[in-house]
Amino acid sequence: MNDVTPNAGLSRRGFVSTTAAIGGGLMVGVGVPAIGRAAITSKTVTAWVSIASDETVTILVGSQDMGQGVLSSLAQIVAEELRIDWTHVKSQHAPPNAIYDNPIYGSQLTAGSGSVRGYFQGLLQAGATAREMLIAAGAAVLKVAATDCVGQNGFVVSKSLGTSISYGKVAAAAAKLTPPANPPLYSANGYTLVGQSVKRPDIPSKVNGSAIFGIDVRVPGMRYGAVKLCPVNGGTVKTMGAAPAGVTYINVGTGIVAVLDARPGANTFSAFTAANAAKVTWNLPAGSASQNSTTILAQGRALLTSGSAIVAETAGNVAKAQGSAAKVVDATYTLPYLAHATMEPLNCTASVTSTGCEIWAPTQAPGTCQLTASAITGFAPASIIVHPVLLGGGLGRKFEQDYIAYAVAASKAVGAPVKVTWQREQDFAHDQYRPLGVCRVTGGLDASGNLISWAYRNVSPGILFQRGWVPDGVLDSQASEGATDITYSIPNRQVDWVRHPAAIPVGFWRSVGNSINAFAKESAIDELALAAGIDPLVFRQKLLAGNARSLNVLNTAAALGNWNAALPAGHARGIAYHESFGSLVAVVVELMLSGKGVKIINVAAAVDCGLVVNPDTGAQQVEGAIVHGMSAALWGKMSFAQGVSQVVNFDQYPMTRMGNMPTVQVSLIQTPGAALGGLGEVGVPCVAPAIANAYARLTGTRLRDLPLFPGTGITGGG
Amino acid sequence: MTTLNVNGKNYTVTADPGTPLLWVIRDVIGLTGTKYGCGIEVCGACTIWIDGSPERSCEMTIAEGVGVKITTVEGLSPTSSHPIQKAWVAEQVPQCGYCQSGQIMVAASMIAGGHKPTDAQITAGMGNLCVCGTYNRIRAAIHLAAGG
Repeated sequence: MNDVTPNAGLSRRGFVSTTAAIGGGLMVGVGVPAIGRAAITSKTVTAWVSIASDETVTILVGSQDMGQGVLSSLAQIVAEELRIDWTHVKSQHAPPNAIYDNPIYGSQLTAGSGSVRGYFQGLLQAGATAREMLIAAGAAVLKVAATDCVGQNGFVVSKSLGTSISYGKVAAAAAKLTPPANPPLYSANGYTLVGQSVKRPDIPSKVNGSAIFGIDVRVPGMRYGAVKLCPVNGGTVKTMGAAPAGVTYINVGTGIVAVLDARPGANTFSAFTAANAAKVTWNLPAGSASQNSTTILAQGRALLTSGSAIVAETAGNVAKAQGSAAKVVDATYTLPYLAHATMEPLNCTASVTSTGCEIWAPTQAPGTCQLTASAITGFAPASIIVHPVLLGGGLGRKFEQDYIAYAVAASKAVGAPVKVTWQREQDFAHDQYRPLGVCRVTGGLDASGNLISWAYRNVSPGILFQRGWVPDGVLDSQASEGATDITYSIPNRQVDWVRHPAAIPVGFWRSVGNSINAFAKESAIDELALAAGIDPLVFRQKLLAGNARSLNVLNTAAALGNWNAALPAGHARGIAYHESFGSLVAVVVELMLSGKGVKIINVAAAVDCGLVVNPDTGAQQVEGAIVHGMSAALWGKMSFAQGVSQVVNFDQYPMTRMGNMPTVQVSLIQTPGAALGGLGEVGVPCVAPAIANAYARLTGTRLRDLPLFPGTGITGGG
Repeated sequence: MTTLNVNGKNYTVTADPGTPLLWVIRDVIGLTGTKYGCGIEVCGACTIWIDGSPERSCEMTIAEGVGVKITTVEGLSPTSSHPIQKAWVAEQVPQCGYCQSGQIMVAASMIAGGHKPTDAQITAGMGNLCVCGTYNRIRAAIHLAAGG
């Protein structure tokens, strides 16, 4: 998996001069032989496709694999239109290049459940373009008109003669042709690969130790480094003591990197030890003394009434409707900061020389890494080589650039390749956390139990504001997502946001604002249903009346989770519905009491993402999101004392283990013609409210503060 | 200089004193399939076999690796043909895959000698952390590998 990608040596100018937008992103005439396969010649037909003489078809994938299966799903889309035998496909991560940008972002980001959504149309066109070029080249050899030929299982086949020639034999000729402007696309009815659960190509390497994650990178002359960052987030280095013999300290502002000299026996652990032993004093940021979780939470509650709210959405007249309501439910929900806690701790290997810079990093944003390294080294961004490696989980953390910058700075300082690995303790203590949130919902019911008013206020730090991406006083879309544009029919509503000024750094955690807003919204909807004396499923059906697609998702989950079936004594079910990243999701949870917490018995999820490219990897994503959502709902909590993280390892941060596992049922629903929805994150938001809703039905006690059952998780393992 | 027997091969290694076996295996010997996750024996990503028994290697001393047979995921089979590895592929267990070497080493020991673990034994035995949440597929794969 750590092969040098075939196009790594290609100049950006070569791409740009021959390419247009993503779909027409062709590299005709710029043939690049694959590296390291001496006996086999290979031809790049388009930027996305190269075909070798042994008929191996290499498809480049613009997204990074962090577990979501893009090496199959994205390659399947190209292969669909290319009309090839899937067993001949080899998919590889593309190098950073504008041609591989995800159109959603205009950047090569793997984020926002956007891989299939963003690339789908362009990859169909990329496959079709290459196919038409191969057909044109093949037709010439077969001495028939191109219109007489089709692409079939890796062959150009003449319909009239029945003769054929393989793609591999005509790839070189095809690469010289002018790409067609509008290659015909197959209709979805004719798909043979899209919609199939082809096996993931990355899995064989993940069962024998050969998969190369960022942390596994070893390059010649590489030295080992480790970080020691200011324990208080936002602090900087004041003084650092002299490094002992064999160690170099590099001041990176927020902390130091300790780099070991090259010597026999040096290793990552020695670097950890050297970093831990470094004597560093710190400049603490102003106000750090008040950065306590309990203080921040109390401040958030106070800001519900004292804060200056920015309106995100308004309709009708909430005050008037609420005044006329027969019943009003007024509830406040709180959520803690959360860590990403990817299995693979942060790390990056960089090599800065006098002539250039190379990076090997588990990153969701290779193009951004080029910019980061450029700022440190002065080399042009396009000249910086970012080698794709696997990510041992990303979850939004590996979009960030801090760990990239530290490695580049360290390599530049010592003049040798350096791998900088973070200890787990640094990884937990220096995250960009899921924001803490305080959300108040005031809902009004009329005498018939109809929801007639909805006032929703979210108080949370602004992810975009903290980065300077939106100014103060402007709505932070990450804070309001999942609270606005909801499908429920509520005539009078106001959604607003108050920015919490807490300085704890916040970032993009799987499903981002949706994980906060879905908990408050779906808990409140349930409270309103119970107040109205209406079954929570029926209450939601009423709110979604007339929206067939939403109702189908809700009812599918209800059926899958046996909503109306009798339960054993001591069990209860809860339900939640939420849309995010273009997908519609409903979840039914069944649970029972267990010790001081609960045992989740079953989770049934229905997801409509429009079209499913690979049902099995799609299901994997939802299964994983449910587990992730459980960890957050039941136990997940970061706490801070005077700006210092009080949680630094997994023994303090319980996450779901085998012993916590429910059965999980996933139904992926397709809606032909609908816009594509994402899958990576969409399973998370419903889990916490569905659990809280089940618990309330079982016990009569409404839990409004996450985590629901702190301290009851398993941490040590077996 | 210390001699370690890893996957049937002797390695004479030099490492800084106090280096845990995990890092000797990864950085000095260069077998990177065994992973670092927590460094305090709570996640299980570093699981290897010592004389056939699964052990977490991140706090194990080099001395504890001397005179015993160490097996890492790379040594489970020469061709990824161990029943657990085949079952992992059949059930498409891994997502990010980072924890899977450790999971596989525990699971493979669980079916050694033709043992067919029960659900309760799998729950009790498979304590490793998987942030991707592949547990139900792990369970299915162990049953598959054990022959039902």
